[in-house]
Amino acid sequence: MTAESAKDILEERLARLTPADIRKAVDTFRAALGHQGAADLNACVHCGLCADTCHYALTSDEPENPPAYKVNLVMAVFKRYFTRLGRIVPGWVGARELDETLTREWVDVLFGRCSLCGRCNLNCSVGLNITALITAARAALTAIGLIPPELQSTITTAHTTGNNMGIAQDDWVETVQWLEEELRAETGDPTARMPLDLHGARMLYTVNPREPKFFPLSLLAAGKVFYAAGESWTLATDYYDVTNYGLYSGEAPVAGELSDRLVRTMERLGCQELILGECGHGFNANRWEAPEWLSKRYPFRVRSVLELMAEYIRAGRLTLDPSKNTERVTLHDPCNLVRLGGVVEEQRYILHRAVSDFTEMTPNREKNFCCGGGGGQLSMTRYAQRRLQAGRIKADQITATAARIVATPCHNCVDQLSELNKEYKLGVAIKTLCEIVADALVLPAP
Amino acid sequence: MTGLDPLRLTVLAAAGWCLAALVFQAVRAYRFGTHDVHSASAGAPLKGIAYAFGPGMMPWGKESAARHLPTYLTGIGYHLSVFLVLAYLATVIFGIVPPENWRVPLTAVFAAGAVGGTGLLVKRAVKPVLRSISCPDDFASNALVDLLLVTAAASLWIPAADAALLGTAAVLLLYIPLGKIRHCFFFFYSRILFGIFFGRRGVLPPRPRETQP
Repeated sequence: MTAESAKDILEERLARLTPADIRKAVDTFRAALGHQGAADLNACVHCGLCADTCHYALTSDEPENPPAYKVNLVMAVFKRYFTRLGRIVPGWVGARELDETLTREWVDVLFGRCSLCGRCNLNCSVGLNITALITAARAALTAIGLIPPELQSTITTAHTTGNNMGIAQDDWVETVQWLEEELRAETGDPTARMPLDLHGARMLYTVNPREPKFFPLSLLAAGKVFYAAGESWTLATDYYDVTNYGLYSGEAPVAGELSDRLVRTMERLGCQELILGECGHGFNANRWEAPEWLSKRYPFRVRSVLELMAEYIRAGRLTLDPSKNTERVTLHDPCNLVRLGGVVEEQRYILHRAVSDFTEMTPNREKNFCCGGGGGQLSMTRYAQRRLQAGRIKADQITATAARIVATPCHNCVDQLSELNKEYKLGVAIKTLCEIVADALVLPAP
Repeated sequence: MTGLDPLRLTVLAAAGWCLAALVFQAVRAYRFGTHDVHSASAGAPLKGIAYAFGPGMMPWGKESAARHLPTYLTGIGYHLSVFLVLAYLATVIFGIVPPENWRVPLTAVFAAGAVGGTGLLVKRAVKPVLRSISCPDDFASNALVDLLLVTAAASLWIPAADAALLGTAAVLLLYIPLGKIRHCFFFFYSRILFGIFFGRRGVLPPRPRETQP
C-alpha cells in the first residue's frame, strides 16, 4: 500500500463519519482512559515544560509537536464530554467537540507526531502518563477505523498469519533448519540444535519476524549463545512473533489476543520461561501489558533475552573475550525496554564484558532519547520524513560518542538507526546484543 | 477572635464545597475504571512513590526542571507561598493575629509569590507554545491566586483589606473544583500513580549503575 493510497482511505473514512461513530469513539476513549487517565487529565496544568524533552519538538518548530499540545488535544475532548464546565462553557476551559476537524487533527498529531517513547512522562511537572493518554485516543480512533492503514495492515498480518511479516510456516521452518546447519558448522558440533517445538524445553524463545526475514544471522547469534550456555530451549513452529503492534493502536482486545498466542504456545510446549527476543515494544507488550490485557497472572516467568544473557555471564555459563570486539561501541536504549520496561543495567553489564571499548551516549538509560522508530512510526510510511527529522537528536548523540558500532537490543530501533545512518551519514554499524555477544564467545570444545 | 461573620462563614462554606466537590471528582475519576494488576512486579512501588515526591521532583531528577530552572524555581516559590497564604487565611477567618514580627517576612513571601505568579501569567501570554495550549481558565486561575496573594499581603497591614482577602478566597474556593486549580488535588493522585508505574517496573528509583568490571 502506498502512502498516497493509504491517505485516501483515511480521508474517505473521515468524510463518512457519523454521530454514531463519534459516540463509539468517545465511549472507547472513556474506557481506555481508566481512572489514571481521568486523574491525569484533571491534573495537567498546561505548563508546557515537557516541550524540550520530546525529540519531535526539539527538531522542529511546528506547534503541534510539543507533548503539551498533544495532551491538550486529548484533554479538549475529555473536558467536553466528561466535565461540567466543559459542557456548559466549552470555550472557557478549552473543551472541543470530537468533530471531523478535531478527529483529523487527532490522527495527524497523535499517530503522526509521537513515538510513544514516554520521555515526556518522566519529565512532566505533574507526572502524567502521556503515553497512556495518547494510546487511549489512538484506541478511540482505531475503534472507528481511523487508524493509518499501514499500521492496521501490520496488525492484520500478524493476526491472520501469526507473525507481522506474513512469513509462511514452511519458510520459517526451512530458515531455522538452515540456521541449525550453520550453527553446527560454526561450532563444529554435529549435535548443536536450533530446536523447533521441543516439548518440555526449559524456555521458549520468541523473536521479531524481521530476524528470519531480513536478519537471520541475528537469530543464529542467539542460537549460538544458547548453545554455549548449554540452555534447554526451543522455538515454536507457529507462534514465535514477539512483536505486538496492538500496543500502538491501543486495541487491547486485539493486542491481548496476539499475546495470548504466546501463552498458549508456552502451555502447549510445557516450557517454564518465556524469553523475549530483542524487541523493545515486544518486551513492554508481553512482559507488562499483556497480563493486564488478558486479566490474568502468568504461571511462568517472562524475561528479556538480555536478562538471561546477563545471568549466563554472572553464573559463568558463557566465556567472553572482549578483545574480539575492539571497535568502539555505544548503546542505544530502546524506550519500551528501558524507560517503560525496567531493563536498564543488564545490557551494560553484558557490553562491559563483551567489548573492549564501550562508551555511553548522553543522556542514557531511562533518560535516553528515542530513536524515532517506536509508536508504529516505522510502519506508518506517510510520516517517514517527520520520523527521520525527529531522529536527528539520536544521530547527534551517536556522532558525539565517536563510536563505530551502535548496539541496540531492538529490531525496530535497528531499522530506524539504519535509516538514520544513511540520512545523517553516520558511518556506523548497527548490531544487536546477541550478535555482539556471539562475536565475543569463546566456545567450549565440541 | 472577631466572631464568624457572614463573610467568614461564606469562606468556610466555600471551603466545604471545594473539598466535597474535589472528593466527588476523585470518585468520578475512579469510576472511569480500575483493574487488578496482573504482571509480576520487578521493583518497589512504594520506593517509586517516594522517589516521585522526592528526587524525582528535583532538577537533577527531571530534565524539564533543569532546562527551565527559573520557571521551576518560580513555580516552587509560587506554590509554597500559596500554601502559606492558605494557613494565613485560616488565621484571618478565626481571628488569630500572627505575631507582629511575622508581618514583614509574610508580606515578602506573599509579594514574591504574587510577582512570581504574575510572571508565569505573562509568560503564558507571551510565549507562542504556551499560548497555543492555553484557555481563559488558565489565565483566570492564575489571576485569582495572584489576587489572593496580593490581598493577603495587604491585609497584613490594612485591617480593612481582610474583607477583600475573604471575598477573593471565597470566589477562589468556589472555583477550584471547576477549573484547572483542581490540580491541587489531582497532582497527588497522578504523582502517586507515576511512582507506582515506574516503581513496579523497576525504572525508578534508578538502580545502581553497571560500570566497567
